[in-house]
Amino acid sequence: MRKPLPTPLPAPGRRPARRTSRSLVPIVVGTLALAIGCNRDDVAHYRVPKDAGAQAPGMGMPPMGMAPGGIPGAGMPEPPKPSGKGALKWTLPKGWTEEAAGGMRFATLKPPVTGKIDASVVVLPGTAGGELANVNRWRGQIGLPPIDEATLAGQRTVLKTKAGDLSVFDFTSEGQIKSRMVAGLITTADGNTWFLKLTGDAGPVGSAKSDFMRLMGSIRLD
Amino acid sequence: MIKQIGTRLWKILTSFELTIGSLVLLMALVFLCTIAQVQLGTLGAVNHYMRSWIVWWQPQNLGVSLPVFPGGTLVGLALVLNLTASTIKRLAFTWQKAGLWIVHTGLILLIAGEFATGAFQVDTSMAIEVGQTVNYVESPRSMELAVIDTTDAAYDDVYSIPEATLAREGSIAIPGTPVSIRVKKFFRNATLSALAPGSAPSMATAGVGPGVKVVGQPAVTRDDDVNHTSAFIEPLAGGRSFGTWLVSTDLGAPQAFTNEGRTYRLLIRPRRIYLPYAITLKKFSHDVYPGTDIPKNFSSLIHLSNPSSGEERDVLIYMNQPLRYDGKAFYQASFGKGDTLSILQVVGNPGWLIPYISCVLVTIGLLVHFGITLRRSIRRRQGLKEG
Repeated sequence: MRKPLPTPLPAPGRRPARRTSRSLVPIVVGTLALAIGCNRDDVAHYRVPKDAGAQAPGMGMPPMGMAPGGIPGAGMPEPPKPSGKGALKWTLPKGWTEEAAGGMRFATLKPPVTGKIDASVVVLPGTAGGELANVNRWRGQIGLPPIDEATLAGQRTVLKTKAGDLSVFDFTSEGQIKSRMVAGLITTADGNTWFLKLTGDAGPVGSAKSDFMRLMGSIRLD
Repeated sequence: MIKQIGTRLWKILTSFELTIGSLVLLMALVFLCTIAQVQLGTLGAVNHYMRSWIVWWQPQNLGVSLPVFPGGTLVGLALVLNLTASTIKRLAFTWQKAGLWIVHTGLILLIAGEFATGAFQVDTSMAIEVGQTVNYVESPRSMELAVIDTTDAAYDDVYSIPEATLAREGSIAIPGTPVSIRVKKFFRNATLSALAPGSAPSMATAGVGPGVKVVGQPAVTRDDDVNHTSAFIEPLAGGRSFGTWLVSTDLGAPQAFTNEGRTYRLLIRPRRIYLPYAITLKKFSHDVYPGTDIPKNFSSLIHLSNPSSGEERDVLIYMNQPLRYDGKAFYQASFGKGDTLSILQVVGNPGWLIPYISCVLVTIGLLVHFGITLRRSIRRRQGLKEG
């Protein structure tokens, strides 16, 4: 049988009930104020499963096709992906695999390397902002400052391919755990710009780089 | 002196004039609020007139707002104090007056319930497609900047910065990470367009922002309008800047940066509240009357899954038949995408029972009072007959 908790006895000569009711007022008011006013402006943290609601349609979001036209990355319908002669092709290095891509990606490539690494092929209509803007966007993603046109030329390696000249860039971030990005871009005759990117932790990217360079060297338009 | 003030205050609080004055003011507020819904929308008008202490008015070409009318909260408080004080003063605490005591308690509770609703009710929505499982609700009127650490293959760490914090601009530390976000410019509402050649450069230096022009707009007030919330933000970590990014509800493409091997996505979206359970939409039905396009019924057959309680069950939500679960009511509100998307209005109101309780109290009070009066009347008649 559970024993009742001991109740503190009132000190002699005091009026405990009155004191209690008085002391309750600030507590009740304070609690109400906290309940109403607090925790609404704090940074909240949640850990959620990877796919929970990842594709959920957001309330209050503009409906598909309502986004302002011409904005890169706006929520407008994706442009049709090139096919046939307009589509870039490549030869996969040994051990690499290719998966069907979704969203903005044309293809997702899987190198046989463990660790944090991602290889992708993206195609966008037109110049997609130009070479400098894209290079600075990539640099920003790993915390490197933007560069100007003059510095860009020094960073560029040109790879001769059957599809044309491919501009290749290789950036490594600062910090204790370094990130690295090897990326090539090429504009094809039909006006599309293709991006081939290998990103991730510097170690795995370094291991896969030679294969990725061979893959980029094999691109062609049949 | 203090006693005199107290006596005078008590006299005012218990006065019938205060009751009439409060009721007249409430009638005026209801009228003004109804008219204002044309301009402000339902929610905007209710917040402006009914859920405010003072109704403010900002004349054109004048930078300041002027108090022009007592708000619904102030009038409601005056009424509830008046009702309480009058009840204490005028009603003797006897069995004869028990019915009236119960009626007045019910009325006070009714007004107090509106205060509780105004303070604690949380209106959210859940948009869910057939076959999809969702474990969060979204606030349609409040946005958040979500900084999402997507590094782990199994889960995402979501750090949510509320709109009110973004609006203050300045630096915000992301707890548990080396990252902080400096909000350089916040727009509650804005229009976005492609930056024309020769235009002034964008504030953004990273992501898709450098190619986008942002023009601030007044925040929307109508219920069917949506703010296109946007901001220029600068992530910082370990003393390094990751550039200035434009984030907006109008930008659909993911934007991310990597620091010390951890990748963080940045996006502005309606504020999410995650639930400890998940809901799967199994079927959405949009029934019409045979041979017409006139809607007869909307219903969502959902599956509720709560891992913490082991609860697994199907629930049919249809018009006026919400699912009440975990202190929330899930109402069928809307639909879309060719009848494959169901939108549920999710209302969390800890005081939702108060109006029902107050109505029951008023009914019981009236019955008790009627019974006491009837008994007294019958006795009086019997007394007359015997006399």
